[in-house]
Amino acid sequence: MIHLQHFFERARAGELTGVRCRRCGELAIPPKEFCPACHERAWEPVPLSGEGTIASFTVIRIPPRAWASEAPYAIAAVQLREGVSLLGRIVDIPLERLAVGLPVRFRALVDRSQTAVGFGPS
Amino acid sequence: MRKVAVVGVGVTKFGKHDRTSAELFAEAAVEALADADLSPGAVQALYYGNVVGSETEHQLHTGPQAASVLGIPTVPTTRMETACASSHAAFRHAVMEIASGVSEVVLVGGAERVLNVATEDSTEYFAYASDARWEQSLGLTFPGVFALIARAHMARWGTTEEQMAAVAVKNHRHGVLNPKAQFRKEITVEQVLRSPLVADPLKLYDCCPFTDGGAALVLASEEVARTRRRPVWVLASAAASDAMLIHDKRDLARVPATERAAAAAYRQAGLGPEAVDVVELHDCFTIAEIVATEGLGLFEPGMGGVAAERGWTSLGGKIPVNPSGGLKAKGHPIGATGAAQIAEVVTQLRGEAGPRQVDGARTGLTHTLGGNTATVLVSLFGRE
Repeated sequence: MIHLQHFFERARAGELTGVRCRRCGELAIPPKEFCPACHERAWEPVPLSGEGTIASFTVIRIPPRAWASEAPYAIAAVQLREGVSLLGRIVDIPLERLAVGLPVRFRALVDRSQTAVGFGPS
Repeated sequence: MRKVAVVGVGVTKFGKHDRTSAELFAEAAVEALADADLSPGAVQALYYGNVVGSETEHQLHTGPQAASVLGIPTVPTTRMETACASSHAAFRHAVMEIASGVSEVVLVGGAERVLNVATEDSTEYFAYASDARWEQSLGLTFPGVFALIARAHMARWGTTEEQMAAVAVKNHRHGVLNPKAQFRKEITVEQVLRSPLVADPLKLYDCCPFTDGGAALVLASEEVARTRRRPVWVLASAAASDAMLIHDKRDLARVPATERAAAAAYRQAGLGPEAVDVVELHDCFTIAEIVATEGLGLFEPGMGGVAAERGWTSLGGKIPVNPSGGLKAKGHPIGATGAAQIAEVVTQLRGEAGPRQVDGARTGLTHTLGGNTATVLVSLFGRE
């Protein structure tokens, strides 16, 4: 079982970690106790490449108070090469270049205590 | 299971209020009890929806607070929180309490107060219904969630911004006919398209407003309902859930929980979407109405935008959707929304909706969506 803290500690070091079900082969983003596909509890960690394409995206223009100084900023749902998806903040790609299908690569966004998922140019 | 009917409905004016959410609920409940011609002493339980009371009113335990302000402090009270679907979840549990024989008369309600805080704050509080570690940490907002759905639907089906705008125009046109609606003003497709971007491709007029308001329903067993003037029967009430995280959803152009809740509700009632005459559904954003009309089986996948553009969902169209004005124009006090949608469908099935009446409506459907599409409730109603 990979807990949130493990996932983000590895992400901070630049590595994305998924889990694969040894029974049915389902690939998922942790944490999950049971496999949602077959309900077995037999995960093994697998490294993810961090490479993928934008499945959908938006540009947040009216942000929550805590993010007011960063707007406008883009968030994308990215389908990774392995088949699972991750939501992330887009960095270093001009907003007008964003498009469904655009290749991107994982980038850890580290802000002192907290690491978040980011994606930059592939 | 016993039959259950809605025998009384009440809704406050939606918009800005200088009263607490408990007071707004109580106003609606007084109206609902008068409509049912029942005294507060008849109420055996209260199921209550309220979402951001902790944030906007610094108030937990809002169920007993609401019951106390109404004046029924000793009635067993439970607060439900399924984000924007809270009072529809409350309704389903009240139906089960009566259907199972535990109670004869149960009150359902919901209320929300948010216009007493700034937009940056309400935007943040609503975002608490998305995942804190994975999604809030990115600065994701609810318009952002539905913008991701919109972009995916556009890429998959060719849905256009003009089609989304048609939903807003239609619901504003309906809202003009509803004296309780927050907005009672017609708008044009051009106004929607020229309104400022909130979360691309969603613009201000694609989004429902922040709203204060309350709603209440009186539910009764068949035995009690037969003694009331105008019972409307609950034909089905179904809930479905889906993965909490956007990254676990396989297809952002669909809302699988809507499809599952609708299938369960149609099965319970023994009828299909073709039997439905009037629909109140969860149009928190224009794209949400398009995807919901597809998920409920009213139109084929990919046809929701076309249906809106061609007027099929307007009053007088093939299947009128949101004659109340919907969340878009009537307003969206999140804890009250599910109950308010049911109040509208009950009013329609009684034939009492005045200028927004759907002619000859016999079967109605309500659909309420919670959070980032992880909760959906669908209920069906019929008159005799």
